[in-house]
Amino acid sequence: MLSYILKRLALTLPTLSLVSIAVFLLIRLIPGDPALVLLGEGADAAALAGLRADLGLDRPLPLQFVSWLQHALRGDLGRSIVSGEPVAGLILQRFGLTAVVVLIAVTAATVIAAIAGLLAAWRRNSVIDLAVVGTATVVLAIPSFWLGLLLLLLFGLKLGWLPFVGYIPFSESALQAMLFLVLPVVTLTITESGVLTRMMRSSSIDVLHLDYVTHARAKGLPERTVLVRHVFPNAFAPTLTLVGLTLGHLLGGIAVIETVFTLPGLGRLMVDSVLARDYPVVQGCLLFTAFVYVLVNLVVDLCYPFFDPRVTAR
Amino acid sequence: MRGRAGHVGTGRIGLRHIGLSALIGIPLIGALLLTIGIGLFWMPYDPIAIDLAHPLGAPALRHWFGTDQFGRDVLSRSMLGARISVLIALATVVVAITVGTALGLLAGYLRGWTDRLLMMITDAVLAFPGILLALALIAVLGSSDGSIILALSTAYTPSVVRVVRATVLSIREREFIEASRSAGDSSLQTISRHILPNVLPPVVVLATSLFGWAMLSESALSFLGVGVPPPAPTWGNMLSESRPYMDIAGWLSIVPGLCIAGTLLGVNLLGDALRDWLDPRRQT
Amino acid sequence: MARSAHLAHVLGTLAVSGALALGCVCSQAVTAGTMLRARFKSDIVSTNPGTRRDENTDAVLLHVVEGLVASREDGSPAPMLASRWTVSADGRVYTFTLRPDVVFHNGAPLTAAEVIWSLQRYLKPETRWRCFAEFGEHGIAQVLSITAPDPHTVVIALDRAAPMFLTTLMRADCGGTGILHPDSVDADGQWRAPIGTGPFEMGEWRHNQFIELNRFARYSPLPGARDGNAGGKHALVDHVRFLIIPDSSAARAALIRGSLDVLDNLAASELTGIRGRPDLRLERVPILDCYALLIQTHDPLLSDVRLRKAIALTIDTAGLTKAITWGTGTADNSPIPVASPFYGSVEAPLRQPNLAQARRLLSAAGYDGQAIQLTTSRRDPQMFDAAVVIQAMAAQAGIHLDIDTVDWPAHLSRYTVGTYQLMMQSFSARLDPTLSFGIFIGDKREEPRKVWDTPHSRELLKRTMTSADPAVRQVVFDELTRNFVDEVPAVALFSSSRLSAVRSNVTGYRNWSAAQQRLWGVGLN
Repeated sequence: MLSYILKRLALTLPTLSLVSIAVFLLIRLIPGDPALVLLGEGADAAALAGLRADLGLDRPLPLQFVSWLQHALRGDLGRSIVSGEPVAGLILQRFGLTAVVVLIAVTAATVIAAIAGLLAAWRRNSVIDLAVVGTATVVLAIPSFWLGLLLLLLFGLKLGWLPFVGYIPFSESALQAMLFLVLPVVTLTITESGVLTRMMRSSSIDVLHLDYVTHARAKGLPERTVLVRHVFPNAFAPTLTLVGLTLGHLLGGIAVIETVFTLPGLGRLMVDSVLARDYPVVQGCLLFTAFVYVLVNLVVDLCYPFFDPRVTAR
Repeated sequence: MRGRAGHVGTGRIGLRHIGLSALIGIPLIGALLLTIGIGLFWMPYDPIAIDLAHPLGAPALRHWFGTDQFGRDVLSRSMLGARISVLIALATVVVAITVGTALGLLAGYLRGWTDRLLMMITDAVLAFPGILLALALIAVLGSSDGSIILALSTAYTPSVVRVVRATVLSIREREFIEASRSAGDSSLQTISRHILPNVLPPVVVLATSLFGWAMLSESALSFLGVGVPPPAPTWGNMLSESRPYMDIAGWLSIVPGLCIAGTLLGVNLLGDALRDWLDPRRQT
Repeated sequence: MARSAHLAHVLGTLAVSGALALGCVCSQAVTAGTMLRARFKSDIVSTNPGTRRDENTDAVLLHVVEGLVASREDGSPAPMLASRWTVSADGRVYTFTLRPDVVFHNGAPLTAAEVIWSLQRYLKPETRWRCFAEFGEHGIAQVLSITAPDPHTVVIALDRAAPMFLTTLMRADCGGTGILHPDSVDADGQWRAPIGTGPFEMGEWRHNQFIELNRFARYSPLPGARDGNAGGKHALVDHVRFLIIPDSSAARAALIRGSLDVLDNLAASELTGIRGRPDLRLERVPILDCYALLIQTHDPLLSDVRLRKAIALTIDTAGLTKAITWGTGTADNSPIPVASPFYGSVEAPLRQPNLAQARRLLSAAGYDGQAIQLTTSRRDPQMFDAAVVIQAMAAQAGIHLDIDTVDWPAHLSRYTVGTYQLMMQSFSARLDPTLSFGIFIGDKREEPRKVWDTPHSRELLKRTMTSADPAVRQVVFDELTRNFVDEVPAVALFSSSRLSAVRSNVTGYRNWSAAQQRLWGVGLN
């Protein structure tokens, strides 16, 4: 098992290297000078040159890359050009908030999807099925940021039930802080439950027709046991894969939700740092995100055998 | 960005549902096409003409959907936005499908180093968060329809490559392929006569999903401020520009959102119906 | 492991990690004492005055540090750390008498030694002081010596007379040449924290969340009322917290709900949501900024003054200003802002739009409908909106403009290098018309961002710097304005107003023409 994990991680190294080089070059291709952004309009050439030298931006590109890589391998992702904060700490802090929102929302969406999908498949072609599929299909069509805006308009402004301001740190008031997360989590849950529900329903339909389910029913087992012990675990496996992929893509895609609700999360950090040409932060974020993406996929693959005995971990 | 993993087979619906899907989907898409068609010849007002004397007008007889902060007619802008948003999504799909299919065929058929290299590049692109990739590409190339199409296609091509490659792998070992090779057909003939027809159904299904994802992504990019440049309207940048006026001119946020949701619903439903029609094995 | 037990295990781990994540973010207790909460749209960039800065950074640091002189509302220099000063007959030697009762935040008294240390530090190239170039070869004067005949007097000798010397010292973007205690840097000269003499001291800076300032109990204010950055500066609250809220609707909602006390820099479009509320008060102050359409006169198409004039003639400046600023800004075709004491009868007349004449000029110039690129950025909504409106207005005369929206770094880059045809740009408040004209006038070979490159304009600009007499300077400013309107190196459009909303229990808040938030003299009932 351990050797399998290590081997999988090792296999991702070429991909990670490619990603690092690509993002290093890509971000520097974008016109715009971080030193100029820092000093603002009206700064003179000597000050600009001096700042660029301070930031190490005047060295030849390969040298900059090698230097960054050497530090990165030791865990030092450098300092943000804009704020001077250590990049690693910044990423972890932002990631903390993003992770909380994403994990809660995806867990909730998975639970909803598991129950609704199984139910719809079990009562195929009934009114329940139609309702579930209909809702899931409609939900799929709604842009997440529009839903967020509408919810914000309704609950934040018109009804005034929930706060409008982006984020109050937990240190101020844990209860208040959680209130700020309600709308983003609800939005994300609704948005992600659509595709998960359809997947769950689809694979449940498959499993419900398998021989051993008919067998279990013929043995006289109560329907509930059949559903929970026999159908669910096997039907859940493909949905689990999808959950893993969703978690991976949300690391970046969450930027839009974070913009709507002004949450200081990882998604917005990525977008803001590209727009500010904060090279070390962009590079650090990319590396981190790619790594998490790989890790999540690995975890999902490892969990798979628990749900589908037909699949064994190599 | 939704959909980059190429996940397609999530929509198994029964015969009864095909009817329902088509029943709702066709009118929606029909309405979209009608809007675009009419928009080619006539719109109530010039979508980019400003009228500084009447900003933020509520929906009324003169302006059915109201006016925006420059007094521009929201209905006309939505009509033009339909054309632009759909064209961009369509172009993205065409490019991604074409390039992706070609690369997927190469990888799946040739295997070996070609396959490994292509898969490494594909995985690398997939590991990039889609938003960031698109953002960076658009920033490098400048904001324009072309750069957005290029950025979105780049983000979605890997999904196509993976689906095509998987399909090719699953059928390349079958007997009729062997027969074709031993009969002396060249690789190109084998591919075009035997493999391609079998790759098409999943690709067509993927294309319908891709269209929806591309439209969503374009509006997300516009929402973040890096979409189609002004004064051209897309539903996404109309949504984005409505934010500061959300509390005093709600219709500016609601109209483009409904347009996007309606179009996506129609496309998804038609895609479902198409999928089940193409793949009779899946019907029960 | 049984499947259900495994699932429970996974869920349990998730729950624990979630709780840990939440817990890790919890920390300190709430601060005691009265707190005034204000807002910035983006985080400050450093605590080192006059070096890495933007407007927000300047505003914060001017609460913490003070210079020898400070700017009054009308732009004239007033005593701050120097109680008075004399200038030698040849205008080269300035003698400042320091106030005897001033103390730094660390308790050390202010003496000439710290003043000399601070000034010499600014004049070192490694400090990257924004006004460093002003004291170089191409600046206003070079500093020959800074000496202290006694602990309360500082003498600065320049190599030539420089009427702009005090104005330069006062500049907010140069940190007001704030006097710092040497403990602000460590033994290697690396920046630590600003130890100044201001009414507030630097508190906690939590990146992208807030910056907190604490009242300095031993501050000795000057007598008199608040006047610009000068006069009596009284800290009426114990703490000031600048919250970072990038989204304007979120900031507005925070104000309405009472999570924010002072909301400075409202966009004009946001007024409707705030007007008429009994628990809020609106303040409006015209500021010394400038929104202008820059024209690249080296461009083959735009080097023809007839084409430039035609573009200018399509713009209905009054209508554009009213629409974009919702009536809060003032149309102004001169680089001198409306709120400036030098804005007079020559600067006031607006160019009337004339489409017929524009078309005549276009055909005379041989313009054939070629696309001209107009660069703008979304960073400032008024900048963006102005571009949209100008494009529509120019189209009425048949001028084809293509709007190129770029993000801020790219915009700044293009501006600095001059790689644009037309560019919509906004310029922050300049306290003196020399600085306002200085935005446009210069030598393109050395500073490509200067759009007005004629020797005559450069000559006139120099003349404004060589006299201290307002009447003399006014004459030169008037001539510059007339030339600016005739030669159209750019089209000045308007200067805006700073709109602020405060909760009704907030007393004494007023922004001023320099568009800088001041939270001294502001109290909570």
